[in-house]
Formats: sequence, C-alpha cells, structure tokens
Amino acid sequence: MPKYKKIQIVLAGIFAIIFLRFYYLQIYQHSKYEAKAGNNSIRKISLHAPRGIIYDRNGIPIVDNRQIYDLAVIPFDVTNQFDYQMVSKRTGVSSSELQEKIAKGKKSFHRFRPVPIKRHINFETRSHLEENKLSLPGTIFSEFPARTYPDKAKLTHVLGYLRVVSDMTASKPNQELDYKLGDVFGFSGIERMYESILRGRDGTEFRLVDIYGIDHGVYKDNPGIQPVPGKAVNLSIDSKLQALIEELFIGKKGAAICMMPKTGDVLAFVSAPDYDLNSFAGPVPLELWEGWNSDTEKPLINRGIQGLYPPGSTFKLIGAALANEEGKVDQNWTVNCNGVYHLGDRDFHCWNIAGHGTVNMERAILQSCNIYFYHLIQKLSFKNWKAMAEKFGFGATTGIDLFGEKRGLVPGKTYMNNKYGRYGWATGNLLTFIIGQGDILVTPLQVTQMMSIIATRGNTKTPHLLLDNPSENITVSLKSKTWDFLQQATWNVVNHENGTGKAAKVMGCEVHGKTGTAQNPHGENHSWFAGYIVKDNVPILSLAVLVEHGGKGSVEAALISHKIFKYAQKNISL
Amino acid sequence: MLRKTFLYNYYLNKIFRAPDKIVIRWGMLVPVLILMGIGFITLKYTSLNSSFFTSTFTKQIVWFAIGSIVFILAQWIRIQYFQEYAYHFYGFLIILIGITYFMPVIGGSHRWLIIGNVSFQPSEIGKLLLVFVIARVLADQKGNMNEIKLLLLILVMALIPALMIFKQPDFGTAIVYGFIAIPMLYWSGIRSFYLFSVIAPFVSIISAFNIYFFSLWMGILVLVIYFNQPKITIGVSQFIINIGCGIISPFIWYNFLYSHQKERILTLLNPTRDPHGTGYQVIQSIIAIGSGGLWGKGVGEGTQTQLRYLPVRDTDFIVSVIGEEMGLLGITIILVVFFTLLYWIIVYAGIISNKFSSLTLIGFASILFIHLAVNMGMTVGLLPVTGLPAPFLSYGGSFLLSCMLIVALSTNIINHHI
Repeated sequence: MPKYKKIQIVLAGIFAIIFLRFYYLQIYQHSKYEAKAGNNSIRKISLHAPRGIIYDRNGIPIVDNRQIYDLAVIPFDVTNQFDYQMVSKRTGVSSSELQEKIAKGKKSFHRFRPVPIKRHINFETRSHLEENKLSLPGTIFSEFPARTYPDKAKLTHVLGYLRVVSDMTASKPNQELDYKLGDVFGFSGIERMYESILRGRDGTEFRLVDIYGIDHGVYKDNPGIQPVPGKAVNLSIDSKLQALIEELFIGKKGAAICMMPKTGDVLAFVSAPDYDLNSFAGPVPLELWEGWNSDTEKPLINRGIQGLYPPGSTFKLIGAALANEEGKVDQNWTVNCNGVYHLGDRDFHCWNIAGHGTVNMERAILQSCNIYFYHLIQKLSFKNWKAMAEKFGFGATTGIDLFGEKRGLVPGKTYMNNKYGRYGWATGNLLTFIIGQGDILVTPLQVTQMMSIIATRGNTKTPHLLLDNPSENITVSLKSKTWDFLQQATWNVVNHENGTGKAAKVMGCEVHGKTGTAQNPHGENHSWFAGYIVKDNVPILSLAVLVEHGGKGSVEAALISHKIFKYAQKNISL
Repeated sequence: MLRKTFLYNYYLNKIFRAPDKIVIRWGMLVPVLILMGIGFITLKYTSLNSSFFTSTFTKQIVWFAIGSIVFILAQWIRIQYFQEYAYHFYGFLIILIGITYFMPVIGGSHRWLIIGNVSFQPSEIGKLLLVFVIARVLADQKGNMNEIKLLLLILVMALIPALMIFKQPDFGTAIVYGFIAIPMLYWSGIRSFYLFSVIAPFVSIISAFNIYFFSLWMGILVLVIYFNQPKITIGVSQFIINIGCGIISPFIWYNFLYSHQKERILTLLNPTRDPHGTGYQVIQSIIAIGSGGLWGKGVGEGTQTQLRYLPVRDTDFIVSVIGEEMGLLGITIILVVFFTLLYWIIVYAGIISNKFSSLTLIGFASILFIHLAVNMGMTVGLLPVTGLPAPFLSYGGSFLLSCMLIVALSTNIINHHI
C-alpha cells in the first residue's frame, strides 16, 4: 500500500473518532444536553393566579387581593456601588448578613439566580427601594398575592386566613390543587372551605435569560400556561349587619348568629373576641399566631360553632314542645311557684326567689319559671325529652360550611350511667336538664337553628354561608298546635308586659324570643337571647346571642338582639 | 519598464517567477469556500449585536478579501526560493521568537512583535518556515545519514522553536510545532518503529495516572516492540525507559509540584474539575453541541450561543456554535469537506516526485490537520483547552491569512509539478 493511502486511512480514522464523539453527544446524549441547555437559559416563571374575591350578599367585597413583594438579588449583578445600608434600613435585614449572602452567591455556580433577601415587603418599601435602583444593582422584586379586608365588617372567624405551603407533606390540604412550595392556601374558615373555588390555577411562562440575567422575552417553543384566576365567592353574610353586631360586641365576649329561617342563609356570624386579619401581610407570622393561641381570652376559638355553653332557659322550649306534643298537660294544668322546690333532701330554686305564684305553661315560659318545669319534667319521659332535643338539632353538628363545628351534648341515660354509674344519678339531674343547665352543652349556632325551626314551623334549612347555595331541608314534624303554642309563647316573652325578653321588643314588627341564663361556675352567668322576627307574616331573621358573663339573658343579650331586630325590620326582607 | 525591472532584477527573480500554468484545483478550493461560507454564516449571527463595521463578520470578510489577493499573488512565488533559503528563514524565525520575550505582555503572554502600530506574531508564519526547513533537511538526505541521527536532528530542530513558544507561553502553537515533524518524518521514509519509540514515552507519562490505562498501554508497547524485533538491548531499554517514565511522573507529581500547578494541569486534563474556570467553557461547549442534535437549533437560534453561555464563540469555540445551530449535519459537512481538502493535498504529495515539494505538502496538511483536530477535540472535551482556532472557520485575520497561504502555496507547488 502506498504511503499516502496509509496516511489517508489514519486521517480518516481520526476524523471518524471525532465524528463518533459528536454523534455520541448530539444524538445519543441529545436529550440530556437539551435539558441542560434549557436549564441554562430557560427560566420557568410562575404566574400567580389571583385568588377569588369574597363578597357579602349585597356584592360588597369583604376580602380582596393586594400585592406584596419579595425582594431578591442576583449576586452576579451586584457591584461595589451596592448600598447595603439602604436595604438594611428598609428591610431590617442586617447589612453584614446581606453582604455574606451576596458574597456567597457570587462564588456559586448559580450566580445568575436570584437570592431571596426579604419576603413580604409592602408597596411603600418597594417604592423606596425602586427609587434608588441605581445604587442597588441586581435587585429584583417578585409579586406575591396577599389578602386585604376592605370592609368595616371583620367577619374574622368565618373568613379565616391563609398560610404558605412550607412543607409539602404536612400542610397539603387539597391534593388535586397542585401546590408548590411557597404557595398560599386557605388554612381556616371560608378560605379553607372554598379553597378549590377561590384558588384558581397558577400559570407558567418560560422566558429566555442570557448569562447576565437579562431577559430576552418569552420562549417561543413553549407558550406556557395562562393563569386561571380564582372565582369569587358570595357569602350570605350581610356585611352591614355584621359590622353592627361586631360593634355591639366591642369589649364583650360571646357570639351572635343571625340567619334567614326559610333559606338557611347566615346573615351575621360574630365571635368575640377576634383577631386582626389585617395585622399581617400574607401568611400569619408564627409569633403572632402563638400570641393568639396563648391568649386567655381565646380569640382563635370560633365561639359560634366551637363554644360550648349550657343553653339555660332557652332550652325550656324543648320541654314545652314535648309536653304539648304528647298532650300530657294542658293550659289549665298549673303549678304554684313559691321560689323553691324540694326534691328529696335538695332544694331547687327558681330564679325569682319571691316566686311566680300560680303559673300555667304559657306564664311559665313568659316569666321563665323554673319551678313549673321541675314539675313538668316528672310527667315526661327522659328518653322522649332527649329525642325532642335532638329533633331540634341539639347534640349534632348543624352542617354549616365551616370546619371545626362542635356537636355539643344532650345527655341521655347511657351518658348518665357512664358518667355517674347506674345508681349515681336521679330525678334531680333531670330537673337541671329541663331548664338547660347541668351537663347539657350547645353551640350558639344550634340555638339559632332551634329558633329557625320554631319560626318556620319545622321547615328550615341547614345554615350555610355560601349565597345561592341551596342547602338541605330540615323538617321537624310536630302537631300544629305545638307550633302554635311555641310561637305564641315566644311572642309573649317579648311582648307581654311581664315578659323576660321585653328589652328585645321592636315596635311595628312581630318579634319572638326566649331569654336564658347559663349558670357558670367560673364567674358571672352567661346571658342568652334566642329569637326571630316576622315581617309581613314571614320570618325574616332568627338569631341567638350569647354574651359571656353577661348576667341575665333579659338584659345584655336581649338588648343586643333588639338592635339586630331593628336593623332587620328596616333592611331585611325575603 | 516595470516588466523589465521584474524580468531582470536578480532578487525578484529569485523570489518570483511566472506561473507554469493556472489550474484551479477544485478539490482543494471548493472545501475552502464551503468552510469559509459556514464560518461567515456563523459569525454573521454571533455578531448581531455589534455594529456592521466593527462586527467580526465584516472584519472576517475584509480579511478574506485580503487573503484572496494573497492567494492569487502566491501563485507567482518561486517555491524553490524557500528551499534554497530554508536555513536562513529558520534562523530568522528563532531570532524573531527570541525577540518576543522582550516585548510587552498581551493577554498573559508575549507572542507578539510590536513595531509602532503593527503587531505581528512570528510563530504564526513560523509554522510554514518550519515545514520548509524540515522538508529541506529531509530532501537533502541521500541515504548518507544514520536514520536515528536524522530523526533526532529533525526533532531537535522542531523542538527548539516549540519549547521557545511554549515559554511564551502558547501551549497550542507549541503542540503544532512539535507535531509537524512526525508525519513529515514518516513521509521521508523513517521507520515507523523509530517514530513510535519517540512518541511512546509521552504516552507513558500521561497513562501512568490510571493503572488500567497504563497496563493496557504497556501491553501494546510490548507487542509493538516484539513484532518489530529490534536488537534485544534496544527492545529492553525501550521498555525500561517507558516503565521509568510511567513511574517517575506520578512521583514528581505528588512530591515536587505545588498544588496550584497541579490544579492547572488537572483542569487541562479534566475540565469538569473546576466549573468556574477553563472547565466552565468546555462544559458550556459540550452542552451547546449536545443540545444541537441532528439538525441543530437553526442559525441564530442557539440558546447557548445567542444568550452568551458559550464563551469565545467567535474564535476558539466556533465549532460549538456550529454544533448547536447546525447540528450533527453541520459538523459532518465540516469533517467531510475538511477531509476532502487534506485528501487531495496528500494525493498530490504522493504523485509529486520532487522530495522537497512533496514533503512541504505533507507538512502543510499536518498544520491544517492538527489545528482542526485539537480545536474540535477541545470543544467536545476530548482534549484540553489550548486556544487553537479552527482553520477557515474561526475569526482571526492573521490565522486566516496563513491558512489561505498554505492552500495557495500548495496549489502553486501542485501546478508547478503536475
């Protein structure tokens, strides 16, 4: 073989090796390097979908969105002119920490990637920093959605608040919503309940970025996904009524719930004390939350559905309903109240120590006479009484669209046997039950529901907060004369000159109600008022007001109810 | 008058002559034009941001125009002039390289001769001069010199300028100087076994850092020695020398080198060691090439290139740009076209009986080959980053001129003899 052929063959061999190396990289490992090239230059930008706005029943926004910002720095772009002092002053991040972060970033392979400096800065801080952009090379801001509460009505416990997904496994409330670290999610209240409506879907955008971090526009080959904004939620809440009640509860503890008996719409829902949703931007800072959590006033508890109280005299309606339904007693059956009742070796008192004299059932409710009911319960069966209480929704959750609702407790035989032993309890316990004391525990919402049932003669709906969301029917079938009696008796409480609920009376409207005083071993008694208002022969609003340590129900709670009824008379119609 | 001066001037007559005939050697010219075309397209899109008059694209076109004139003028050169004065040129080259040491440092090394506004890199044109002097020495041999002595003489002649250039420092060009001699020696008829013996110790030094590679290499060494059947003493001593090199180099490495020196050499051998330094460039280059795929991302569409993740994309890493934007297709065209060019030069070298001319062609082919091989090897991480540009592709005026001069003189030689 001639020499030149040999050289050509060697040459071809070397060229083939080079070719094979290129082939290996460009064909065999193509996808790997394609991904790497993409990682280099393509930045996936998350486009935040704005969260849905929450309106009240009249279209007034209660929860809106606002932007807060995250400050970050691209280490590569930071020069000697960078004013560490200014950033430190505006954000509170110490200047030495800043310098350390940036110096570390500059050495890193990812020196073109933003390093987060401070999260959740507000618009003013951003503006200040933005004005001095020239002495702050490399700073960038990313927008971050937060909530704002523009209305006077706070509705704290109903609305709830947001948290940031910080640990994917622990705080993922809703699997199918595709959370990423750093996303916000509804942690409580309506924000949590209707997360899937409010959240929307974040979009993505792919942008080309050169080695200096300069943006070169949208990446053509992948258009990304447009964000889908969260849908609005309309609450059944009347924000004006809500604000009114919140104002009445300033300085007080307790709860007040108003609803429309016919539809189940919750018109107002107050739990006091509350906490300030506006006191933090974005997610709740841990310190703040811990503060609320350790507060002895327990602002985090939603008293409307989580506060458990003895219902007091409001519960006499259950006994009265049972007595009427079973026809065990009639209006002519009377009891002489002299202020005290002896059973065995125990004395049971009426709240009126002087006694009410001769009372029939109507008067007994009107004046809330305990002695009458001590006699009455002995004519009724404990089992049936419990069943009647359960018919009116006690001892079970109402099913309102909020998390954490408590069932309360209507004690029955089994419960008593378990608690006191088969022979450890007696009729004496029953005497306390029928006047709503002792082991019975109810939530204000349950009491509201009871009033709705009475107002609608057993045809109400599950209370709910989402407007135009037909909820389940609640049907309680009792005899017509039982309903007549209950409605008449509650009317008397408010309108009769001796009625305990006189304070709640509204001129020109038909107001029904029942007062209650829940005995509280820890201090002043809790004050109850439960009732409803009828306008043009239609019950338009039922309510329960509980003022902790409010004393007699005839005073504090009834006065608040009076103001609510007055509002309803003017502003609410079906 | 001019014609008279030209015809009868003694010195001009030594340098120039009328060309015997003008034949366009398409087999060599077309590859050059294709390569230039690919280079122009690539430069056009890497220099989009600079203004027209200062862009590398425009400048390269100007250099190409000058190169074309040089190409034509070179057809009038009397090639024997370089044979006659080869030693003078060689001496002159050594002196010029020597002078560069006294010149100011530009970009970390002194490779330039600076006279007023003109700067000039003697090692650039020196490649051609080295080819001439080696061709002259080998052509002068009429079998009256011991083969080994001749081999050593040529190696020394190549290594003197190579080491001087290495000291400038210009590692890449030094490699070119060291390499040129080997194909020429082979062409002149030196026994392959001797060439092998010269190259073997270098392989031993490098392979010694990997025990498997070293064992394999020692196996090959033994086989080659066995089949060439040298005298027993020579065979054994060769084996010992190679083993010795293999053992000594790690010893020196671990005991006599400072850590920063080691670091520098290691990065040379394995760029992924330091992703921020030289290695960073190679990583980005490999990503660019790999992401190009079969068809490439399209001219001007390479993200690695256009978004500047790829460094020195106009010169050292222009092949990476081509790999990214034109894909394996573009690379294949380059390889095929370049092979065609070298193929024809070698074919003509085989036909031409004049020893000097034939050797010169082989030397020229070696220059072009080593540049392309080292450059492409570097972009895919096969060889360390040495800063050797790719012939006809990379931006750079003086390098383009010497490449065109190489093809021009080759055409001249071929036309003269055939």
